[in-house]
Order: sequence, then C-alpha cells, then structure tokens
Amino acid sequence: MKNGRILTGIYGLDDLMDGGFRKNTINSIYGGPGVGKTTFALQYSLFGLDRGEKVLYVSFEMSEQQIIRDCTDIGWGIIKDYIEEGDLKILHIFGEDLEFPSLDITEIIKKSSPGPNPRIVIDPFTYPTFYSDKEKRKSISTIFQDLRRIGTTLVILEEPADATAAVSSGNSGEILYTNRGLSTPLYLSDTVLFMQNLGFGEMYDRTIRIMKHRGSKHGEGIYPYSIETGLGIVLRASKKQIDRVVPKTEFDERFVKAIEKTKSMGKLGEKLAVRIEALRKNWVHDEDPQQILELFLKEETKSYEPKT
Amino acid sequence: MNRKLEDTLDQLYEIEGIEACMLYRIDGVPITIRVPSYREYLLETMFWLEKHIRRVLGEMNREGLKETIFYFKNSRILIAPSSNSTVLVTIAKAEANQQLISLEALRAIRIVEACVA
Repeated sequence: MKNGRILTGIYGLDDLMDGGFRKNTINSIYGGPGVGKTTFALQYSLFGLDRGEKVLYVSFEMSEQQIIRDCTDIGWGIIKDYIEEGDLKILHIFGEDLEFPSLDITEIIKKSSPGPNPRIVIDPFTYPTFYSDKEKRKSISTIFQDLRRIGTTLVILEEPADATAAVSSGNSGEILYTNRGLSTPLYLSDTVLFMQNLGFGEMYDRTIRIMKHRGSKHGEGIYPYSIETGLGIVLRASKKQIDRVVPKTEFDERFVKAIEKTKSMGKLGEKLAVRIEALRKNWVHDEDPQQILELFLKEETKSYEPKT
Repeated sequence: MNRKLEDTLDQLYEIEGIEACMLYRIDGVPITIRVPSYREYLLETMFWLEKHIRRVLGEMNREGLKETIFYFKNSRILIAPSSNSTVLVTIAKAEANQQLISLEALRAIRIVEACVA
C-alpha cells in the first residue's frame, strides 16, 4: 500500500485505486437511489472504526436511530458500541438550518469531531438547498478546503431524477459532466466514484466506475459489485482488470537505458531522468514503452529559445 | 464467473479474421474489450458503437432480430444481444470466414448469458 492512503473498506476497490483514498482529500460518491451510496459510506466508516480510527457521520436525511437500524439489518450492529464509546459521532442536521454553510458546516464538524484526523462522511451533500448559484463554487470550494484540513471526507451526491432517466436512455456520462447542480462538487472533488444500477438484475447492472482519482493510477473500466449482508459492497473485478493497474517490471531495462541516456544530456537530462523513473515505477501497460520514450525525448530536446 | 467471461472473449478474439470483440452494456458502456494495438478505423467504429448501440438494439428489438450486421469499409460488424443488459460485438475482416465467426459468436453469447444473467 502506498503511504498516506486511506483504505476504503470496500472489498476489491482499493486494488483498483492505487491503494485507496489519499489522506485529507474529498472523495465523492455519485449515484441514483438504491445503488448503495449509504452502504458505501457506512462500510467506509466501519472499516476505520474497526481499526481504531474516529468517524464523524453528518447525515442530512437519516437520524441516528435509522442509521443504527440499517446497520443492524446488514449485520453491523457493532456500530452501536462505537457510538457509545465515542469513536463514532452521528450528526443529524438539516441543510435548511444552515444560514451561512461555508462557515457553519465546517465549524460544526470541527467542534463535533470525535478525534484528530477523522474519517468524515457527509450523506448527502445537499448543497442546492442552501447555496445561491452565484456563490456556489466559491462556497463549496471553501468547505472542501476546510474539510481537507480536518480529515478524509466522503461526500455522497444524489443523482437527480432527470439524470436517472438519462441513465436508462443511455446518456449518463453526459449528464454526469453537464448537470449544473452536480458539476461543481464533482470538479472540486479529489476522487469521484460513479455507482449505477440499470435494474435488470444481471451482473453488470450494478457497477462502479472510477471517474477521477487525483494523483493516482486507477482502473478505467466498469466494475460489477453486489451488496452482501454482513460484508457490504463487494467488487467483482476480474484478474485481468486488476492486472491492468499493477505496474509492470518487464520493460525496466528499456527504462534504465533511457535514464542513462538522458542523464548524459546535462542539466535538463537530469530532470528528465527523474520523470522517466516515475514513469517506470507506474508503467502498467503490456506494451513496450520504446515509442513513448522516444517521443518524450524528441519533444523535450527540441531546440527552443525562451522569450525573455 | 468473471474469468469465464474473459476467457470466452479471449477465445473469440483468437479466431482468424476477427479484428476485435467487445462486450458492451446496453447503455453503450464497454464492459470488456479485445482489440489489437492502436488502429484508427477500429477506434472510429468503437466511438460509433458507444453512441449508437442503444438505438441499434431498440431497432433490433422492434424488428425481432437476433443479430445485426453492419459493413464499415473493409470490416463486418456483428451485433448480437447476449443478455437483457449486455451485447456482444465482433468486428471481422470482410474476407474472413463469416459462417465460422457467426457460429463462434453465438457460442460466446450463450456463455456470456450464463455468466451475467
């Protein structure tokens, strides 16, 4: 596992995400009703709690009792003990009650945090009810910046009803990126996971796509999942899909040669060698990197006179 | 289950004359694909498929068709639903043994259906 990674606790997901979420980031889960967003959030929380981490769960919809009942039904009754011990704090608040949310919500979270560097969950992030359009991007950006300082946050974003209709008509991707209400928090998030359920009851109906995972290698396919009592969300990526995100070592010799060659090119060469080394460590393709290395060196060594 | 599905696509892809085979979800999202290294015309076909597969499937459903064939330049594209939510597409060279490819695609469809349904 890479340093500074926060394991999601979702079985099979971390292998596809370079080891998990990055520490102190905003990670959005986006999807329609019934896809398992809240299950994801609770599983993320439980995984941390089981390992001694603190969790703050901000719920704009479900009360503490509802969350405990849902957890008990899925076999996670232990969550009650974590609440009693003070490791898990559930806040049930209404978006409409927050007058100046960019200050309010982060202040509330700071004050309520059960410990340093907690896992934070906001379920769901009901920004349209309390932001003016004009201030939305600025407000969300401010909230996200503050949240990053406090801990590693999971934000649940509800897919609007019109987008659900678009999914069934095959335009989900377009809706995801063009929907006015959703685009801002998605752009500002460090990671975006898109959960879908087509509703035919087949293997590839319930799927997760990793739309974005800043600064990390991640799988680019769609991964089927199921929700199992006792376990929660289980991803069923094939070995081939997992292999596609595992760095390959068989072309190391090629990289080493390229590094030696660039190092002999002087000051610029030294800088380029560092980048080739980074590429070597993260080369996940089965193909020979020769063509890419040649292109990289050709472009980087073009004669160029900077304007002064 | 997943492995069987991948193996089935691998076997189909190995048949002489098949240039690419893909399993799509009916909304046009590729589930798993087998394509050779970069070929521009294949990429164009794949973009076309992603955009139009849902419409093609709708037409096929209306007409009661089990498979549809398109000819693009020198390629023959066989589109055949493999379950309620998936569709198998094979792209073959026009001069390839089409009967063999159709039969093998049909065999693959049955396995895919058993895997995903």
